[in-house]
Amino acid sequence: MSVRAPSAFPHTVVVVGSGIVGAATAYFLAKQGVEVRLIEAVAPAAEATGAADGAVSVASKRPGPMMAAALSGVRLYRELAEAGLFSGLFKSRSTFIVAASEAECSVLQTHAAALSAAGVRVDLLSQAMVRQRMPAVSGRALMAVEVHDEGHAIGYQIVHRLLTAAGIVVQRRTMVEGILSGARANVVRGVMTQHGPVEGDAVVVAAGTGSGRLLGLSDVLMPRKGQLLVTERAPELNAGLPGAIMSGRYLLSKGSQGGGQGAPARGLGLVIDPLRTGQFLIGGTREDHGDRLTNDVGAVAQILRDAVALLPGLAHVRLLRSFAGNRTAVADGLPLIGRVSGCDNLYVATGFEGDGICLGPLTGKAVADLVCGREPSFDLRPFDPARFGVREVAA
Amino acid sequence: MRAENRFTLFLIPSRGAHVTEPDVLVIGGGPAGLSAAVEAARAGLAVELVEQRETIGGAIYRQPIPGANPMPQAAAAKARWNTLSRAFAESRVATRHASVFLGVEADGLVLVDDRRSGRVACLRPKAVVLATGAVETVHPRPGWHLAGVSTVGGLQVMMKERGRAPQGRVLLAGNGPLLIAAAAQMARLGNPPIAVVEAGDPLRRVCGGARMLRFPGLLREAGRYLIDMRRSRVPWLRGTRLAGIEREGEAFSILLEDARGTRRLKADRVALHDGIRPNDFGLPPDHRGAAPGPLVLRAGDCREALGVLAAEADGRRAGRLVAQHLSGKAKDVAEAERVIARNRGAQATLAELFAPLPGTMPFEDLPDHTVLCRCEGKTVGDLRALCSRPDRLTGREVKHNGRFAMGSCQGRFCAANTAALMARMHPAAPPPVPEDLTGRRWPARPVSIGSLVQAASQDNEMTDEVHK
Repeated sequence: MSVRAPSAFPHTVVVVGSGIVGAATAYFLAKQGVEVRLIEAVAPAAEATGAADGAVSVASKRPGPMMAAALSGVRLYRELAEAGLFSGLFKSRSTFIVAASEAECSVLQTHAAALSAAGVRVDLLSQAMVRQRMPAVSGRALMAVEVHDEGHAIGYQIVHRLLTAAGIVVQRRTMVEGILSGARANVVRGVMTQHGPVEGDAVVVAAGTGSGRLLGLSDVLMPRKGQLLVTERAPELNAGLPGAIMSGRYLLSKGSQGGGQGAPARGLGLVIDPLRTGQFLIGGTREDHGDRLTNDVGAVAQILRDAVALLPGLAHVRLLRSFAGNRTAVADGLPLIGRVSGCDNLYVATGFEGDGICLGPLTGKAVADLVCGREPSFDLRPFDPARFGVREVAA
Repeated sequence: MRAENRFTLFLIPSRGAHVTEPDVLVIGGGPAGLSAAVEAARAGLAVELVEQRETIGGAIYRQPIPGANPMPQAAAAKARWNTLSRAFAESRVATRHASVFLGVEADGLVLVDDRRSGRVACLRPKAVVLATGAVETVHPRPGWHLAGVSTVGGLQVMMKERGRAPQGRVLLAGNGPLLIAAAAQMARLGNPPIAVVEAGDPLRRVCGGARMLRFPGLLREAGRYLIDMRRSRVPWLRGTRLAGIEREGEAFSILLEDARGTRRLKADRVALHDGIRPNDFGLPPDHRGAAPGPLVLRAGDCREALGVLAAEADGRRAGRLVAQHLSGKAKDVAEAERVIARNRGAQATLAELFAPLPGTMPFEDLPDHTVLCRCEGKTVGDLRALCSRPDRLTGREVKHNGRFAMGSCQGRFCAANTAALMARMHPAAPPPVPEDLTGRRWPARPVSIGSLVQAASQDNEMTDEVHK
């Protein structure tokens, strides 16, 4: 295992990127008394974090390291909400996976059993129970699985809270051009930015897709566009939904989309999340190609068509905003978290694709522990960047 | 399980042969849009006009509703409208009424919300002329957001539609020549305002006054307004600022401040106006030709708010530029540009004449409780709290974390004011622009999900009705 702790407690740490992962890392480092230099190319939560669906959820996970991580991630949100740090920002709610065909029902039952076996609290709801519990949901819903103890958090709000609580001043609009090598071959001493060098006892790269360029991992990281929609306030319809509604249709394609091969260029996984404001967040797409700045009517209409099929009342609500962002995906579908092989004090944390909001705080805490020579609170081995070999990084 | 397993494959609905394709789509049936449509049609192009209302004319030439008497208006304005509306009728340009432009989507399709049919039309014109006019600026003041407080331009449009003045004691306040124009119109309709509160003092600006001599038309117009006001004994309180509006039973108690001190007035209605600015919220940027997507040009007040004469000329200019772009033949826009330049000069002179006096400047000493964003109920104090820390937030962060410009008006009322206030708080930082808060994504206006679902589900039926 390459997540060996450095010998000395760091005084100053450079963190590159102020998405949710960088902000959480900065927060937990600052809490341990480390001086943090948080460097950001644009502004906090300007990329994937600011365009995320905000699911803090295990509902769509299969047993394995990502499910284990997601369970820890949800637990940490709950703890931080209770401790006050995330108070008012974490909406505790269930996720309801809804099946609309016989085929979906049978897959959904299998999925529920797998979740249950992994220790997730789930309930099977019959058609009648769905109707009683969620009268606003379409009669086409034949059954549903309620996944308890899930939640929702808005990425940019979490980032703002973390940075505010730690009193961190972000160096905005500062592009990192490279990593600075130290006196010894396996040590770095900071980063070079467009405004000059920034030095530290350790460097954490949490720069999303931009991490690839800095760490020689460009062939491993790729952007995955997602489009999302926000409605106006619809308090009655919103209040009638006890949690997020997820289409069970995705479960049908389970197994046909493994590990990046044969993955569709453009996919849709429908989730309708009732927000605290009375609005709805509806998403989203997953696209291998596409400009993150744009939304196309084909995708938007398709998302909404599926959403209205599940929740017919949405047809009478107005769409207020559409947006899109690029998540960072890793070639093998698992994030990169840990020390960069060949360097004692260089770390990476990126590649969460659609799970960044759920796993961001957990990851930040684990990376801060690593950097400070403490044992991380969850098992990072499956995410060890060493699985892609040693790369040439420092300039 | 990996995140990607949450997603199933979907196909983009085909949208080929059945999409109607005018050469030019003009957005907005005011003076700029109408003259752009006329010019493009004269060049032989197939033009359609998109107008959100049932009648054309825009705010300036707003037509009376059925049964209402037209408001008395100056002969020159009447003649201009007659000429323009006749030319438009003769151009036989098809108009989509009750239709709202939503934007240009990623693949270059132009989205128009047809509120009659309850369906979003997807069009693929070669060019789009955006002529969405101006919006009024209303600076934040305590109480500006209360029910019963409107804009002066809004009152004017109401008078044009109904042919009568608003009832009760009406106070007009703010800055600029529109205030005296509206006061004169109210006087002619029999209910003059109780006062016009003006932040500037044009009668004391000697240089600006001298420059006005170059614009005799404007001088005559202003003179007529002032005579009408004088005849109805409407006080013109210059160098005065409206510092707050409070509800007092059925009426408002209004706090006024000038160099001599403060006083209070009572009124039943208040109308505010601090100038106009382009109505460019959520509009796509100008775009000249590179695929995908149509040529996009702005015309009239939504490009530069210079008033009706410039708007009409700018419409001609845009119509000719579109024709030039699509035909490759050079078109003469020099005449239109001369008119625009002259009106730019006139507006600059007016702005100088009406410049607010010290002590009446907007954004000065606003109390924390002043509402900035009325959709989300966010105040000046909320913004100050967000922007007073050492970590300087960008416009987009202020939007996200303060919820400014996130409500259903999509920032129309608060984005510019929020950006201006942020710039005042940190004069050294790069000033935020309203677009940092509003963004530029479609839909430019909220749109019914039911209508949007129709957009792609009925592709093979998308023979959008056009109302001739």
